[in-house]
Amino acid sequence: MKEAYLGIDIGSISTKGVIIDKDNQILASEYIWTEGDPMGAAGKLISALEKQFDKETYQIVATGTTGSARKLVGAMVGATIVKNEITAHAVGTTTLYPEVRTILEIGGQDSKIILVEHGIAVDYAMNTLCAAGTGAFLSSQARRLGVEVEDFGRIALTSKHPTQLAARCTVFAESDLVHKIQMGHTKEDIIAGLCRSVVSNYINNVGKGKKILSPVVFQGGVSKNIGVVEAFRKALGCDIIVDENGHLMGALGIAILAGKANARRTFDFSVEDMAFRTREINCGRCPNNCEIICIYRDDMLIDSWGNRCDKGALKAGIRTGVRTMAKN
Amino acid sequence: MKEKGNTAAVTARTPVIGLPRALLYEREAVMWKAFFSSLGMRGIISAPTNREMLRLGAEAAIDEVCLSTKIYLGHVRSLFGKCDLILVPRVSNYGLHRNMCTKFESLYDLVCNVFRNTGQRFLAYNVDVLGGISEEKAFVDLGMALGFGRKDAVRAFRRAGRAAAEDWHKKISREERLYRTDQIKVLVAGHSYLTEDAYIGRPLFQYLEEMGVVPIRADRVDRKEALRQSVRVSPTIKWEMSRELLGSIQMHKSKVDGLILMSAFPCGPDSMVNEMIIRKFPDIPILNIVMDNQDGTAGLETRLESFTDILKLKRGEL
Repeated sequence: MKEAYLGIDIGSISTKGVIIDKDNQILASEYIWTEGDPMGAAGKLISALEKQFDKETYQIVATGTTGSARKLVGAMVGATIVKNEITAHAVGTTTLYPEVRTILEIGGQDSKIILVEHGIAVDYAMNTLCAAGTGAFLSSQARRLGVEVEDFGRIALTSKHPTQLAARCTVFAESDLVHKIQMGHTKEDIIAGLCRSVVSNYINNVGKGKKILSPVVFQGGVSKNIGVVEAFRKALGCDIIVDENGHLMGALGIAILAGKANARRTFDFSVEDMAFRTREINCGRCPNNCEIICIYRDDMLIDSWGNRCDKGALKAGIRTGVRTMAKN
Repeated sequence: MKEKGNTAAVTARTPVIGLPRALLYEREAVMWKAFFSSLGMRGIISAPTNREMLRLGAEAAIDEVCLSTKIYLGHVRSLFGKCDLILVPRVSNYGLHRNMCTKFESLYDLVCNVFRNTGQRFLAYNVDVLGGISEEKAFVDLGMALGFGRKDAVRAFRRAGRAAAEDWHKKISREERLYRTDQIKVLVAGHSYLTEDAYIGRPLFQYLEEMGVVPIRADRVDRKEALRQSVRVSPTIKWEMSRELLGSIQMHKSKVDGLILMSAFPCGPDSMVNEMIIRKFPDIPILNIVMDNQDGTAGLETRLESFTDILKLKRGEL
């Protein structure tokens, strides 16, 4: 039996998974929509991966989760490592592109920049707690313009005079956009302007004060938009690498980290058939009223979080919480 | 004779002073406590910030004031009915280029106005060195306003000043020791009313410590030296507390692995000073965190975890 490692990246929009061997070669990979149900998506992802995976030769000995639902799905699959997506992306990308100096990433809610020296991430920045200039912004503007967001890039490239748009804040951008439409700017110019404003917003906010050196790798859902890629190329004056598997970088990175870490636990594909449930309780033990999330597997509490202090700590393995709920 | 006796009975009951545990409390608490106790007065301090207080404060405030001001109003409100007078200082400046944020100048008026119909009484002292009111004069006036003689007030101020200096010296030497550890060290530059706040700032420190990182407070620094050093980075910066943080960063940048800038939304001075810091110190990894009264800590945890991961990767420890 050879060792294999599973990495799952559960984002707000999509859920990605890979299984790799000791040499970081991808044995199985899958990409599905999260659709507001991270645990359901993880279950689907696991069954899809199981079909591609050769159980006779390999055994999954370590599992990692990353992405915004990493804790939830980590508890569900019994992850040996749970890490944020920035670290996972940095590790994944530097493994595939050891030469990379700058990683740009624009996802559904977050945008970040990671600076790399000699294959090691040395600095990074992330958008403040606001989703301006991210995938969510582009999707909502696409809806307003009556265009599929997938067509954005293609349309943007046809524009000769991209419209100037305020991009600092989504609310301002939106009113500016409406104004420009009413003034008679063409759709392709506005779309190209939007792509450009995403880039200038990124460079001025996330990338401020950072030295962007080539080679540059661009990732995240928005990297699929060739209009934005083109705008980055013009703004930075260098080539932009967009990997076909760019969306898998987080999952790959966390699988590599799981393999490197010492923790070992054989992954059991039967989790996809187990029933998982979450429940929110409000701790009443102090005026903070923390919202505690409890996660149950087959009616047994396996994990909980959200408490600010020990007063709200719950012990895994207890069933009492469920029983009182059953009575209610 | 009878009447005289009555008056004595009334003044014998000294008023209880309420101290809100917010804004200048962390900076001035030792001073205040020593000043009032050497005048023989009693005080009460509001409880550490919790969600309920923040809610009360946000309810009382207009939404344009900063998170820390909202928290302050929550603390003031929590003291109602528990004391006779609530201390709300008005501090404008300590000299040229040594201004306090406008909110400290307006605080007394703001508080009186917000709580105008509550019957609660407030107590102020005014520091405005450019306008000819030194800290000593401010405290002596305060003591005299409370009915004490000038001599007593001066003595109380001097005693309080000594206590505060002694306490500060202890705090700095404790912080200075942290720079010598071999663990990963992060300098946290934020106003003390934010970093020390039980609900907003402390969880950040706890989280860093859980991840094996030593957080060091930039504001706990030799203030005179920090003010001197800050001029080397920016000669024109206006705010006293921003200067202290800036000078501290300049003094300690080579002794730490990374820097976290922590500010409250929407802090005016920080929005300018932190932008400048990010551009002036390109050689040190910087994480810029803006705190608001969001309940979710996920965004914060992701940012802190990834930041410390990067610092660990840099050292080859991950």
